[in-house]
Amino acid sequence: MKVSNSWLTQYVQHPLTGKELGHAFTMSGLELEEMKTFGTPLDGIVVGHVLSVDQHPNADRLTLCQVDIGEADPVQIVCGAPNVAAGQHVPVARVGARLLVPDKKQPGAKVEVRIRKSKLRGEVSLGMICAEDELGLSDDHSGILVLDDNAAIGTPLADYLEARGICAADTVLDIAITPNRPDAICHIGVARDVSALCGVPLQRPDVRIPETGREAAEHVQVDITCPDACRRYVALVMRNVTVATSPLWLRRRLEAIGLRPINNIVDITNYVMYECGQPLHAFDYNCIAGKRIIVRQAASGEQVTTLDGKQRVIPEDSVLICDAEKPVAIGGIMGGANSEVSTKTTTVLIESAWFDPSITRRAAKKLGIVTDASYRFERGVDAKGQAWAAARAADLMVALAGGTPIAGLVDCHPRPVTMPILDLRPARIEKILGVRVPTSAVIRILEALGFGVEASGEALRCRVPSFRPDVEREIDLIEEVARIHGYDAIDKPAWTSLPNMAPQVRSQDRLRDSVDQQLVGKGYREIVSNSLIAKQEADRFADPVLGVTGEIVETLNAVSRTMTTLRPSLLPGLLRAMGFNVSHGQVALRFYEFGHIFQRSDVVDTPVTGYEERESFLMAITGPDAPTGWDRKPRDVDFFDLKGDVESLLEVLRVPDVTMAAHNEATPLTDYHLVIRSEGKRLGCLARVRQAIAQAHGIRLPAYFAEFNWRLLVHQCGAHLERRVAPVARHPVVERDIAVVVGNDVAVGPMLGTIREAAGTLLRVVDVFDLYQDARIGAAHKSVAFSLRFQADRTLTDAEVDHRVDAIVKKLCQQYGARLRQ
Amino acid sequence: MATEPRTSPDTPLLAVVAALLEEVATASIVSEAACEEFRVRYLGQKNGLIPKLFKRIKEVPPQNRREVGQQLNALREKVRKRLEEAKGALPAAPKQEMMDLTLPGRRAGPTGSIHPLTQAMRTITHIFKRLSFSVADGPEIEDDWHNFTALNFPADHPARDMQDTLFIEAPDATSGGVMLRTHTSPVQIRAMVQGKPPFRLIAPGRVYRNETVTYKSYCVFHQVEGLVVDEGVTMADLKQVLFTFARAYFGEDVELRFRPSFFPFTEPSAELDIWWALPDHPQGGRWMEILGSGMVDPNVLEAVGIDSERYTGYAFGMGVERPAMLRYGIEDIRAFYENDVRFLAQF
Repeated sequence: MKVSNSWLTQYVQHPLTGKELGHAFTMSGLELEEMKTFGTPLDGIVVGHVLSVDQHPNADRLTLCQVDIGEADPVQIVCGAPNVAAGQHVPVARVGARLLVPDKKQPGAKVEVRIRKSKLRGEVSLGMICAEDELGLSDDHSGILVLDDNAAIGTPLADYLEARGICAADTVLDIAITPNRPDAICHIGVARDVSALCGVPLQRPDVRIPETGREAAEHVQVDITCPDACRRYVALVMRNVTVATSPLWLRRRLEAIGLRPINNIVDITNYVMYECGQPLHAFDYNCIAGKRIIVRQAASGEQVTTLDGKQRVIPEDSVLICDAEKPVAIGGIMGGANSEVSTKTTTVLIESAWFDPSITRRAAKKLGIVTDASYRFERGVDAKGQAWAAARAADLMVALAGGTPIAGLVDCHPRPVTMPILDLRPARIEKILGVRVPTSAVIRILEALGFGVEASGEALRCRVPSFRPDVEREIDLIEEVARIHGYDAIDKPAWTSLPNMAPQVRSQDRLRDSVDQQLVGKGYREIVSNSLIAKQEADRFADPVLGVTGEIVETLNAVSRTMTTLRPSLLPGLLRAMGFNVSHGQVALRFYEFGHIFQRSDVVDTPVTGYEERESFLMAITGPDAPTGWDRKPRDVDFFDLKGDVESLLEVLRVPDVTMAAHNEATPLTDYHLVIRSEGKRLGCLARVRQAIAQAHGIRLPAYFAEFNWRLLVHQCGAHLERRVAPVARHPVVERDIAVVVGNDVAVGPMLGTIREAAGTLLRVVDVFDLYQDARIGAAHKSVAFSLRFQADRTLTDAEVDHRVDAIVKKLCQQYGARLRQ
Repeated sequence: MATEPRTSPDTPLLAVVAALLEEVATASIVSEAACEEFRVRYLGQKNGLIPKLFKRIKEVPPQNRREVGQQLNALREKVRKRLEEAKGALPAAPKQEMMDLTLPGRRAGPTGSIHPLTQAMRTITHIFKRLSFSVADGPEIEDDWHNFTALNFPADHPARDMQDTLFIEAPDATSGGVMLRTHTSPVQIRAMVQGKPPFRLIAPGRVYRNETVTYKSYCVFHQVEGLVVDEGVTMADLKQVLFTFARAYFGEDVELRFRPSFFPFTEPSAELDIWWALPDHPQGGRWMEILGSGMVDPNVLEAVGIDSERYTGYAFGMGVERPAMLRYGIEDIRAFYENDVRFLAQF
């Protein structure tokens, strides 16, 4: 809402500069968004009296004017205006004055001109007689501005204008209106805040409200068939109006706040709306059939052509204003073209009504329009302000459009409102704000804001004014007190006591820190990808290999077709990030991500029934394993690079009883994969991305990923977070190596398990240190070499260790057909 | 120096040791070769004199073995010491080949990095943890009750419109529907429903808005929510915690503005602005809103079954992206979600 400072001072004579006023607004709940100057100060422009006008000797269209500008001698000014005449009082820009005049080369733009002593076609000119556009008052360039005859010669033009309600250089403040301040969408409402803040009284224009009925009742009959949607409809009829351009002061006021002046009748309705917040509509009375106004809810499919010339289908249950035959306006939103005020209009019907906020909002929404009226009705207009606003508009029409009012007014008021009376406990104010506001100050603030305040025992009994429908509870009153008393007056306590509760440290946060440390050290970069992806992408990645068994989750009103569906896995985002980087010349990529993934589910104990939302953790690699060095050539990463990183990570996190089941067969997303479990529960998978999928994302080199159910992983680690230290073994380690030959198709992984089992507790570490094939072994076999480390809390004898090694070899022979290599 | 010991096999061990001690003390060792020769003569595994003597220890009567052993150990120590001294006294060996120490070190590749949004959320969370806050979270798919109703959003509040909220199930006569949470505030509700006061928690998380993607808005973004409910909590406490946070996050000398605002779930409500200096700006900078806050509305407390007369509390919520963009000088919000390594590598 734009507030003109000069307009505001009509209601409150505050002492603040524009900047101070903006700050005061912001600090009391009406945030200043922008502050602009409207117009120019008109320095150096004075009232002059044209003494004589003579033809310029060398130019047909120019005249030589002798003008008294309050100095000892008159000055000669060369003038080109057609309407200049002796005896006129005119604005004169003296030598040295600066003007912002319309740029002839660039329509709409302005250029600064400095008035100099000059010669025009051989004649001296000592100033300039100005037109409205040259003074920045309007776009009118039809002739010079002619001032009132009683204007004092030599006085600054700004003072002359000021005395007539025209501010040469106004400050316009654009303030943000929060939903709880319907009262502040007008100048009087804003002035009320300023009055409360500055302690300066609020002055409303004097308006005499006509009696209900009388002659007016014979000119119009109002019926409301939907009193919930329209609680009140006030109508007033004005005859003999002359529709014309509004006077300069009114046009200036409207232009200052960004409105385009139309004609005096429409301008007056807008002016009153911006003055008191009540939207008004002016009908051409002669277009209202049957002298009747019927307010009813729209039936299905009804159409109205609105003022903007558009034919609109009216949403059902929105409000229509009708005459005896047809709809003439959409209630609370916009008038109809069929009853619009035009230059031919002589009699006007002024509508001042109250429409329900929710109904107005729904209708405006469905129609896709926001008007000044709908904006105000949606937020809640003063339930008691209709008659005052109609009468105020009538007064202005008498003054500015020569109208004659028809006595009385019609006030159809089926649902009068009663405003609540609320108890405010001063002790409660302190309990909420933490600062004591003296009761006298509380009373002063609330009274200045229009509340009726009466002491009643411990509490203050507050009568809520009708323009504050948002105030319904004690806490709302406390907020009013707080914002006027000032948040700056709420002192921060000098010290704080902490609550007697230990902050919880969640195991997931501790584990997450470990993951970050590990992976960052290993060269992984964390990525963050969008959780909304295209449906076809989601469909493709909703695959059992990623642990997704439910249906995907789609949004109903997507931002775009590429963001319709919630990701069922972090893999699509990862592939996109890899593809993006590959296409930008980055090929060595190690990424990880944490994020929520989504699927539909029948499980009932999820936070929102029907949906399963999991925190997922993914790591992935592609490209060379290391940069090319002066003594080393890189190779492309492979499955075992990622597997090693995963294994060491799971070890650091102490995930218990990890098993990995190999699946060499391809799935739609993977060429091969391992399913990783902890204590038999599926933690996730480790796989090579199916080549075709990687390539479709622009990833040229093999890519590998591992995705985990992070919550389950955290759960599995939960019991192992507490560390118990075992004594460090001080007895010597016995190392043995064995090499066995097995068939080519024998998997080595299970052999490690068998070795551990066969060796018993003495075996501390077993690892594979060599794997090869040669002609001597034959193509059908491979040699696998294991390193074994034995240790106990005593010194082991050779015999003991030999015994274990024998048991291992025996078991390997039995289970895998292994043959010991000598 | 003799190549053979001047003692016969019959000489008593102690005498042999004494002779060797003398020999060791006087031997001259002046070259690398001499060092090696000296070492082999006395300490060599196969034919060194001292190991041989150790083997002869079993010839000594048991009552003398201890003394002989000590003497032998002393001898061995003396040999080692002489050897060390001699080596130290040798002139530095001429370099055989010049190593180029200026070659770059061998590196596995660039170090990884933590995403700037995660870093920003952690920084914020860490500050509040030091102020004794716990961390909580909640789902991103929410129902109407947690996202709107319990937070005192009126039935026809504009925020409930299709145009702002991404719905999964449309609202109808019987339910308000299922949506992607539009803010982290539903975590307040979940926490209060599950527990009992006092509450003192912070909830970082991802939220969604049905917004066209541009350089300054994205349909996905992040917030950090805070909630404190206890007896005797006031707006002064809120102001203090927020000012403390802002000074910790933006610097001790940051200029702050705490002003009235409106949110359905707090009353009175407030916003916190910081003054952000911009050299090119006509005013030298401008106020930037960094968080919304207020006293928890009594309707919210009542919705979760907390006595609003006995308990009061405050809540606050802040965006993560915008302050991070200010801090890091990021112009386009989409940079956060592109995951360009050249961008990530700067964090």
